Amino acid sequence: MPLKRRTAQRPWQGLLAVILLGLAASLWYATQRIHYEWRWERVPQYFAYRAEVAQDAPVPGQVSALTAEGRFNRIVITPEGGGQPVAVMAEKAQVKVGDAVAENDTVGVNFEWRVGPLAQGLWVTIWISFVSGFIGLAIGLITGLCRISKNPTLRGLAIIYIELIRGTPLLVQIFIFYFFIGTVLNLDRIVAGVGALALFVGAYTAEIIRAGIQSIAKGQTEAARSLGMNATQTMIHIVLPQAFKRVLPPLAGQFISLIKDSSLVSVIAITDLTKSGREIITSSFATFEIWFTVALLYLLVTAVLSQLLFWLERRFARSD
Amino acid sequence: MIEVRNLIKTFEGRGQVVRAVDDVSTQVAKGEVVVIIGPSGSGKSTFLRCLNGLEEFNDGQVIIDGIDLTGSKTNLNAVRREVGMVFQHFNLFPHKTVLENVTLAQRVVRKRGPTEANEKAMNLLTKVGIAEKANEYPSRLSGGQQQRVAIARALAMDPKVMLFDEPTSALDPEMVGEVLDVMKQLAREGMTMAVVTHEMGFAREVADRVMFMDAGRILEDAPPARFFTAPKEPRAQAFLKQVL
Repeated sequence: MPLKRRTAQRPWQGLLAVILLGLAASLWYATQRIHYEWRWERVPQYFAYRAEVAQDAPVPGQVSALTAEGRFNRIVITPEGGGQPVAVMAEKAQVKVGDAVAENDTVGVNFEWRVGPLAQGLWVTIWISFVSGFIGLAIGLITGLCRISKNPTLRGLAIIYIELIRGTPLLVQIFIFYFFIGTVLNLDRIVAGVGALALFVGAYTAEIIRAGIQSIAKGQTEAARSLGMNATQTMIHIVLPQAFKRVLPPLAGQFISLIKDSSLVSVIAITDLTKSGREIITSSFATFEIWFTVALLYLLVTAVLSQLLFWLERRFARSD
Repeated sequence: MIEVRNLIKTFEGRGQVVRAVDDVSTQVAKGEVVVIIGPSGSGKSTFLRCLNGLEEFNDGQVIIDGIDLTGSKTNLNAVRREVGMVFQHFNLFPHKTVLENVTLAQRVVRKRGPTEANEKAMNLLTKVGIAEKANEYPSRLSGGQQQRVAIARALAMDPKVMLFDEPTSALDPEMVGEVLDVMKQLAREGMTMAVVTHEMGFAREVADRVMFMDAGRILEDAPPARFFTAPKEPRAQAFLKQVL
């Protein structure tokens, strides 16, 4: 069939829709069978909620007046045995005129928006990934350069590091980092977690960067050297910019992996998104909803990152 | 300007040792244009690349403007500043614009300010007839235009010697002329040049001396008039019969 023919799009798109609907239906049916009760309305409060802040009576006495002022209520307390009346402002009054109050009795509450555990966990995941990714990139760059160095010591160290990290599970590395290195150096759990992730991603980044550098044609280095640039200048101005542009797609994949792998630091009690989810489940029993929400949040972060890197990639493609 | 004494360069591969440059001695005076010709694999490119230390040679001496490349105190980078090189495949920096290609080394090696470097670059780009493409990326240029930019890039360092390694071999025939014209102009201005090429017309017209290399040795070294009409070496005679 040498002639190019257009594949009809509609029927296949229809089939795709049918398959997706079927998957959704089977999910619904599965939860029906185990009599799971969906309580999605419980989820939003874990992002942000209105906390009640108690307003206390500063002095013992009697509530002598209660007037509304905007969204507040002015609660006036006349102290026992006379003296200046004291006013307390509260959004919701919990006393009536004539009530007797002791000192530090709650007379009303104010409402304040607080960040919920899911949002907090999401933030922890994002900054841990970002910091360890940044450090990992630096480690990867240095290790990648050592890996192609002519010096046998540097090369040997780089190879051993890369093989050690790539040959052992991240979970085990986190445990070793926290329980062994962390104990010896007296490290905070956050430092241990970020350190383990950075070392992990650094080893993979090193191999990506090495491949990128080696993929740049020899003529580029020769041209730069023939103009009198030294090896460092050639690397900084000529080789690395081109290599970086070329390895952006695999690097993007590595950093997206890192965001997901960061969920493993929850085992050393860092309250990231995953650990927050687990904690919420123990109090809300909304197991399915929370795990789906957590998954969705990871997806959101990785999608944003992947779009960002895609944009960067297109920007770099200007010179092609 | 260039002095070569007993230069030896060998390549090792699959248990064989190939003497790519085999005990070559020669000199190039200031302002002289030397064209090196010979069959492929004769070692002419390797020889040229030894002249700025791009190729590490095994034995012998290369002296550029009084500085011995093999000297223990010689800063090779400092020597290379004075020796411009133009490559067969241009080797422009694809991530930099034409202007940046010409200014980069001026700024990082010669430590010139941006205004001075830009001015110098624009002058040279005008000279090679490509000033209007200054802000384009190399990928948007034809082969001939890229090679002219490469020449401007090398000239921006104010070199004392220019080396050309088959500068027209990767070009479409219609673009060879524009590059050769730039090279002829350079020769007229008194630049010391060593050119490896297959362009016999250029050799005949511009060269002060033609060297014929085969198997790593310079077999014949004569002015073009004598070389093209009455070559002494049978190898050179056979080669000329093939290419002319």
